[in-house]
Amino acid sequence: MKPELRRIFFSLCVLLWAGALLYFYGSGRMNHYLVPDFRPIALFGGLGLAVLGTFNLLTARQTGSCGHDHGDGDEHDHEGGDMNPIASLALMVVPLALSMLWTIDEFSQSTLARKGLYESAPDSRENAIFSSILPPLTLEEIEKGHRRTADGYLEFDLMELFFAAGDRELQGLLNGLEIETEGRIVEEKANNPNGTRMRLYRIFMTCCAADSRAIPIILEFGKEPPLLPVNGWVKAAGKMTFAEENGAFQPVLVIDRATAAEAPAEDKFLRN
Amino acid sequence: MSSDAQQDFAYAFLSILFEGAPFILLGTIISGFVDIYLPAGTMDRFLPKNRTFAVLAAGLMGAVFPVCECAVVPVIRRLVSKGLPVSYAITYMLAAPIVNPITALSTWKAFQGQAPWMMTGGRVLLGYLVAVAVGLLIARFSLRSILRKSLVEKIEKEAATPKAEEACSSCCGHHHDHDHHHDHAAHDHAETHTKHDNRLVAAMRSAQKDFVDVGVYFTIGVAITALFNTGIAPGAIWLDGLAGNIFIAPAALMALAFILSLCSTSDAFIAATLAKFTWGAKLAFLTFGPMFDVKLLFLYQSVLRKKFILCLGVSIFVVIWLVSIAAQHWLIPS
Repeated sequence: MKPELRRIFFSLCVLLWAGALLYFYGSGRMNHYLVPDFRPIALFGGLGLAVLGTFNLLTARQTGSCGHDHGDGDEHDHEGGDMNPIASLALMVVPLALSMLWTIDEFSQSTLARKGLYESAPDSRENAIFSSILPPLTLEEIEKGHRRTADGYLEFDLMELFFAAGDRELQGLLNGLEIETEGRIVEEKANNPNGTRMRLYRIFMTCCAADSRAIPIILEFGKEPPLLPVNGWVKAAGKMTFAEENGAFQPVLVIDRATAAEAPAEDKFLRN
Repeated sequence: MSSDAQQDFAYAFLSILFEGAPFILLGTIISGFVDIYLPAGTMDRFLPKNRTFAVLAAGLMGAVFPVCECAVVPVIRRLVSKGLPVSYAITYMLAAPIVNPITALSTWKAFQGQAPWMMTGGRVLLGYLVAVAVGLLIARFSLRSILRKSLVEKIEKEAATPKAEEACSSCCGHHHDHDHHHDHAAHDHAETHTKHDNRLVAAMRSAQKDFVDVGVYFTIGVAITALFNTGIAPGAIWLDGLAGNIFIAPAALMALAFILSLCSTSDAFIAATLAKFTWGAKLAFLTFGPMFDVKLLFLYQSVLRKKFILCLGVSIFVVIWLVSIAAQHWLIPS
């Protein structure tokens, strides 16, 4: 293949990747894929690729000088790739294009199930050694750290309730407390013989969507749950309890009220 | 593939690709400019003459040039083709993603409340020692048994270049650096300087070519990672069942690190959430992942022979596994 044509193919590869990064960043969809500190990196990456691809496309016909001598018969090729440029273009672009076509910016319920949607909170026994040297947590401190709703419920992040199931001290303090939390509601598949339970979850992302996992709690309605859109956002308020089921403590919110709600501005929990 | 599977694959694939692509770009831009502007043998001059000390120093170069594992492969690919001894390059390649300030900071931050200094120090030290041990060992092997055939041929061509310069030096009576273009026909140094203006074009082309070379392998690696990622997730039941076993837990987490292919600048945030696992298992996860994972398996193929990659992976796995068990036993009393 002629060097000019090869440069054009390579530039197209680079520009298509740049386009994907910049499109997802510009449209705001990048928020579903990366945590905040990686988003500007993705933007700069997209811009850098755009500069690289455009520069090479515009100078494809220009003669470049590597600035050093080559021996007789030494092609000393600074541009020849490992692979045919058309194959490179196909391998780099086809999976990207298909993924852009297929994605709906979230995992399906079946993958969420594999990513912890129906799992219990980890036992925090490893932290016991550290918590033993810290002063004990008090209810007053918990109340001071959380706002109250107009009808008197303490507002909690779902993550706090989930991890409280693995922390005996926090569990003891939260047990029986009237709280409100928000998340996405789905059907409860296990330990639901009377059909009175649902599950509320949010996604916790550490760096990118691939490493995200579901953080769930159980909602106990005590009767047939109201009709709420599956996977829709819900604000739920009630009394917090922790039930030992299947050998682990499960966070169960005994519901007083549950209403459909708007998705929060940042719908995932992100690492600080 | 069902529509759910397509959606899951696409979501995981794009997220890893968006996370890794800027780091590959950084690495390939550096490698492109190294290719054109860095005379062959420069890196050699930075490192001590003694081979052992040079390997020890190469393991610390990540502290000066902090790059993650995606970015380091194109850089060392270029450095090797520029004449950097392969034992130094591989030491740098294995150590740099771990022995660098960004990774150390993220590990320290992620392990707040879980002995962060111990985990950060342990990770950096183990990463450094393993990389140096591999570097010292492979110094005994021939280039052809380690590097891809095409890269060996390129190195041999690069090695022949100074001879041309020597001939050139004799024809005009004075010495020219490797990066100094010399016009044999007209002996015109002014023209030479004009041609130097085109070195930027050559550097950008070289960077682009490296990006495409690495990007192809990266895409394949990410695609496989995405397939595994949506199939076996962190916290899977079988993995939890292994968590308390001092011998199996490190191996299980190394296997997980291999499959997940996380970036070394961010993998500590995953490890820190694996609360059921032993300290030693997490150390193994954090040390093995940046040295060997699915994505790197493909990236390494742009530099190394397949047989060597296999031997490298198995050796690193065994060494880290044994050290993590010993560390768990001796440093963390039950």
